Amino acid sequence: MSRGGSKRNGIDPADDFRLSQCKLTVHFAVSPRQSRRRWDSWRKFFQHNSKMMKQPADPPHESAIDIRFGQVGLVQVRIRTTDPGVILDELTGRIATAPRFFERTAVCLDLSGLDKSPDVAEVRGVIDAVRRAGMLSIGLTTGSLGVEELSGALQIPVLSHFRAQNHQPVPVVQAAPAPQESAGAPALMHQQTVRSGQRIYARNRDLVVTATVSAGAEVMADGCVHIYGALRGRAMAGAREDVTARVFCQEFHAELVSIAGVFRVFETIPPELAGKPVQAWLDGDKLNFGRIGS
Amino acid sequence: MTEIIVVTSGKGGVGKTTTSASLSCGLARRGKKVAVIDFDIGLRNLDLIMGCERRVVYDFVNVIQGDCTLKQALIKDKRIETLYVLAASQTRDKDALSSEGVRRVLDELTTEGFDYVICDSPAGIEKGAHLAMYFADRAVVVVNPEVSSVRDSDRILGLLASKTQRAEQGNGGVKEHLLLTRYSPRRVATGEMMSVNDVKEILGLDVIGVVPESTDVLSASNAGVPVILNEESDASRAYDDAVARLLGESLPLRFVDEPKKGFFARMFGG
Repeated sequence: MSRGGSKRNGIDPADDFRLSQCKLTVHFAVSPRQSRRRWDSWRKFFQHNSKMMKQPADPPHESAIDIRFGQVGLVQVRIRTTDPGVILDELTGRIATAPRFFERTAVCLDLSGLDKSPDVAEVRGVIDAVRRAGMLSIGLTTGSLGVEELSGALQIPVLSHFRAQNHQPVPVVQAAPAPQESAGAPALMHQQTVRSGQRIYARNRDLVVTATVSAGAEVMADGCVHIYGALRGRAMAGAREDVTARVFCQEFHAELVSIAGVFRVFETIPPELAGKPVQAWLDGDKLNFGRIGS
Repeated sequence: MTEIIVVTSGKGGVGKTTTSASLSCGLARRGKKVAVIDFDIGLRNLDLIMGCERRVVYDFVNVIQGDCTLKQALIKDKRIETLYVLAASQTRDKDALSSEGVRRVLDELTTEGFDYVICDSPAGIEKGAHLAMYFADRAVVVVNPEVSSVRDSDRILGLLASKTQRAEQGNGGVKEHLLLTRYSPRRVATGEMMSVNDVKEILGLDVIGVVPESTDVLSASNAGVPVILNEESDASRAYDDAVARLLGESLPLRFVDEPKKGFFARMFGG
């Protein structure tokens, strides 16, 4: 999740762009499980139909069209402004690093990052800006306010398995027991120093480290990360995109802190916090740091 | 009861072999029966530092592969009665070591009644280093007061806490000690070098010894005499203190502060 520390420059198309912090987010999202389920139901539907069609006498001619279903990866563009100029500028800048990759790419617009629900004209402007940047908007993500009306007015589909940001993610692998139960699971307790090269991951719960996390070590939790010692390595909370997760530590010297995929490295962390008790939390897409207890 | 002590560091060139040689001499000098094993297969050094390179006939790999008996391969030190050296092979590579073979040799040393077996680990974190630490009861982590050595030592400490027999069996884990070498109080005072306390704080371990930077170490190595045997040297005294602490004595740390210049030294710039 925290691959690639690049900000705007040097974007690798394989990277998850949501890691960077700017006005506009490009996000790849395919949910293999969901698509497969949909595909299965379509296949059954078709098999059924074809049996039905075989019953009457053989059709004398081939049909004019074949309808086939396939799966594609889609680029998701999350906008935080409806100003076409800003969008065009920023997209053009980003695409410049991998022009061929984004050329006439199908994208799905995510409107959930906007403060208020946009009107038809605004979205039309956005679609136009995206097109001028070289990509083609083919749908809107579900989940944001008024998206159904926009879809009707613009004659553009709502793609249901693209979740909007800030909604609880659909887990890719859903374990058989109710996942809700794990929310109350006690934190994973780690009492020894986490040494360079070691990784600790608390799945579906908080992580408590009662010792130091050394430089080059990595501690990760789906919930919050609490460190009652020095944090010199990396700490990642909300590993499954829980944006309310936080990182707490007694003595702050972190190399990197990340919450729900939004990260900051040492160089961008305020120096006056070094050595202090600190917590980190996410506010929208901004990762904040503050002293505990001051 | 035989105690197996691994001398390790992760980083190369910090003084593992020098330390292995001096600790084993120091322990043997106090009447313990000690074997010191070179695990650095293919880059044999310990025999040079111990001054027995001309007497290596059979080596560690020969014993593991059954070409000779352990007794044939153990080289008896000429200075100290109870000290034995098991040299590494210079012609083989580290794949010649097997976990089973190492266990067999260590078991045999135990039945032979050795008090201590010192395992001189190669640098790195691969097979040789892994096998050197796997059966250890205690570890002496050699660290230079500089960032890369400290980082590598931290990594090694992580492995000691997870990839050793004691860690896997869950019986208390390997007891870890920190030994600082090439320490220069003068450079610490000017802020060029990390202090003992910095290193202690980062690694979260107690220090078993601080060996000052000394020209005696190099000349001792070249002469094939472990530096602990050069009584004149500060490094020798520091290693002897470390041996005492390994045996459970508690002594104050020496050679960590810059020596105060006396009247004459100040007058004549000595």
